[in-house]
Amino acid sequence: MRTIQTDPELQELEQQVLHHAKAMDRTLPEMRFFILDGWEFISLLEKYVYPTSPINIWEGKRVVTKKHRVETGRESSLYYEVVQTGNPSYAYLNSTNSPMMQASVMAHVCGHCEFSELNVLQDSNSDRTEYVMYLVKKSNIARQQMGDRLFLDYWNACESLVPLLSPHSQFNLARSISTDSLQPHQESDKDISSKKTTSFFQPFSGTMSALLQNSSKESAWKNEIQQKMNRETMSRQGYKLRAPCQDIMGFLRSYAPTGQGEKTILDYMTTVHATHDFVVRTQIMNEGWAMYWEKKIMLELFKDKAVKGIIDYAKVFSGVCYPRPYYMRNPYHLGFHMWNHIETLYREGKVALEFIEETDQNTKEKWNKSNGTDPIKSMEHLVRTVTDYDFLRRFLTPELVDQFHLNRISKQEAQRVGLSPDNIIKEDPYWVWIDPIPVKEEMLKFFTHFYRPRVYIIDTDFQDGGLLLYHRDDGRRLRKDWIKPTLKNLNLIWKSPVSLVSKNWLYSFSANLFKETVVTEVSFEHVQERIRNSEKPFRI
Amino acid sequence: MSEEKISSNESEGAFNEFVEDQLDEMLESIINEGDLSNIGDRHSDVIVEMDDIEVPTFSYGDQGSGRGRGGAGPGKDGGGKMRFSLPFEQLMDLIAESLKLPDLTKEGKGKIKEFSYEFKTFGQMGVILDKRRTFKRALKSNLALGLYAPDQGRYDVQIMRRDKRFKIPERVEKPKFRAVVFYMGDISYSTYGERLSLEKRLVNFSQSWLDYNYGPGNVEHRFFVHDMDAYEVQADDFYNVSNMGGTRASGVFDLVFQIAFNEYDTATTNYYAFYFGDGELFDDDARQILETLEDLMRPLFNRIGIVEVQPGRLSLLNRQVATRFNRDPIIRLSEINDKQETIDVIKILFGEQ
Repeated sequence: MRTIQTDPELQELEQQVLHHAKAMDRTLPEMRFFILDGWEFISLLEKYVYPTSPINIWEGKRVVTKKHRVETGRESSLYYEVVQTGNPSYAYLNSTNSPMMQASVMAHVCGHCEFSELNVLQDSNSDRTEYVMYLVKKSNIARQQMGDRLFLDYWNACESLVPLLSPHSQFNLARSISTDSLQPHQESDKDISSKKTTSFFQPFSGTMSALLQNSSKESAWKNEIQQKMNRETMSRQGYKLRAPCQDIMGFLRSYAPTGQGEKTILDYMTTVHATHDFVVRTQIMNEGWAMYWEKKIMLELFKDKAVKGIIDYAKVFSGVCYPRPYYMRNPYHLGFHMWNHIETLYREGKVALEFIEETDQNTKEKWNKSNGTDPIKSMEHLVRTVTDYDFLRRFLTPELVDQFHLNRISKQEAQRVGLSPDNIIKEDPYWVWIDPIPVKEEMLKFFTHFYRPRVYIIDTDFQDGGLLLYHRDDGRRLRKDWIKPTLKNLNLIWKSPVSLVSKNWLYSFSANLFKETVVTEVSFEHVQERIRNSEKPFRI
Repeated sequence: MSEEKISSNESEGAFNEFVEDQLDEMLESIINEGDLSNIGDRHSDVIVEMDDIEVPTFSYGDQGSGRGRGGAGPGKDGGGKMRFSLPFEQLMDLIAESLKLPDLTKEGKGKIKEFSYEFKTFGQMGVILDKRRTFKRALKSNLALGLYAPDQGRYDVQIMRRDKRFKIPERVEKPKFRAVVFYMGDISYSTYGERLSLEKRLVNFSQSWLDYNYGPGNVEHRFFVHDMDAYEVQADDFYNVSNMGGTRASGVFDLVFQIAFNEYDTATTNYYAFYFGDGELFDDDARQILETLEDLMRPLFNRIGIVEVQPGRLSLLNRQVATRFNRDPIIRLSEINDKQETIDVIKILFGEQ
């Protein structure tokens, strides 16, 4: 690994890329570029894009497997770019790329870094890489403190729960836990709903508001009792569940009883993996934004003759932006074309009530009523306010689905997935097309579950101090042979009994004993309602 | 950070250690149950298959009966397999360590040697210039003398005679031992099916173990069979010839001794002999063998193993030999009835007494 300063040609290119990005008024953090060889890239990726990591067999296994695949020609070691956003951002270039490719990578990275700075999920933070490197050092000390065996057990237990990390969920820590202590910052509804300044000191109760509330004696009594219970729980535990909590890993980091070494492992795991949730919720916008600005900057560089090989660039660009069917989700292709489309909409003033209410088709087709606002500013506003879900919900139309070939499937693939002839609306010798209208709904479904089971903490005092998880039913069963080991891992971290409700089964793990009990099924809405009323959400 | 290399060497090492631990646990089953036939030939790598390790978590889909070792330690589930190519030498190292097999005693040390040259040292005189070391020294000298000063625009590095470092070849001697192994098989008894496979396992292991100890190419393996008479056969034929009828085993012991004595330099050769049969011999035949062993073979051979393969009620060879050589350091007596006993037999044949 070497810095870009060791390569004067690349450093010159970096200056030019940054010059054009700034000329285009991009909001960029400090960006540090490094040059890596192929093997270093493999390692970096398996360290989740941080230059160091504590020793662990899972990383070892992934690297050994990947190296074997590369050596046997089953996988390419040619990675174009990897970036760890934040301020400063660390971007890594592949030493084998041509100068033109390096320039395109740097331009692409500019897009990612800006997206990280601006986005609604507030991904960017200060010194992320440095903080992780500090945690790695702490982890190495923790290994010595805990001893290899305990460290390994705790590490493996944490690995097992990493998929249960959801800092940006609708049911994240900030939205589901009331606490009187400091929590790691997560976005909450307050962040989004209002930006007005509030007084630091809030009255405990307001006579006026109490008088204005139209409530009966019974409900006032009930409210009073509930508030009393809340206060008692808060003073006993330091926190109280006010809604199901989907950020299980985040919860454990904040509230599981831990030693110093264990806390370090939890800190490391949550910090390193937290960005995955951001990526999965914004991938289309993010990659599209990066491609959009990459192309703009690259065209400027070609104009300046700073780099050569525009035809090669066009080839690579079209390869990256090759359309895939909707279920394969090529975020580069979809994101890039969506942003271009949105730019046109804003430029022609089509994101307006007037346009939507216009009934004459001819007028609509000829519509071009710019309100003078820079479309880029409107696009930036979108980045600051929505994630992929809203991005697609608002702007993806059946016409665009068709235009972007999201409903086009190769005949071979159609045969493989067993596509019924009834679903085919058009075909040629190579492709079949399906109805574009349901495609959008299907794509939006992804954002409710991300192909993962939805599991929540619903009780932190189940059967005397136990942690109760709830699997939200969507018609599929959990993999049964993994329930016990996962609960065992959770038990190791929570250090008290742990249970999981999935459909009409209650799985419990306590004192090295695994138990399965048939119970009455309870709906998620019912659980929510009970938690809201400070009742036990689930009883056997 | 700018000069460091990003690598996962330590994590890879941890994973490899984990695999080695697993292999260690699996070793007995590899030897007792696994296919040993491919390790003897050409010293090729051995493909070892073990349960894949995965991190258990809440996920969709039932994968059937995965073995859950989740929780403490890596979650070992899923029914997937990891396949490893294990080098022959490494497998044998593991076997030696796991079964606590001692190195074989080698005689004739120093009489035959292998030589090689390795570049281990570096000096001021020589033929092969070590450019890296030379440049490093030259850079240091130039910096010290102020000849290389980039801040003053002086970039040339002059290489002086005293900066030059040459690679110096060092003669490395490795003692080369020679060994000859005689495998003797009884073709008059029913050597087919399980009996044949048990015999094959032991012969294959013996071949591999001796090759590993003496180095490939330094061991000659010779195969002999007998019914009423004794013959030398090719390795492939050792398991394929059979003859129904009478049997006389002392002939093959005599033949082996004659060949060992007449065809090899007894001062520099290490001799090994292994006999496999059901042990059902005539009384005088067994007595004859005992005499050959005592008078002729024992003084000459490093190790002689006699293994009764699924012996019957009438088997008497080992009983007879044991009257004189019970717990002998050179003559080792054993029987095998089931492949689960492979390790025990190996320990008797090659272990400490």
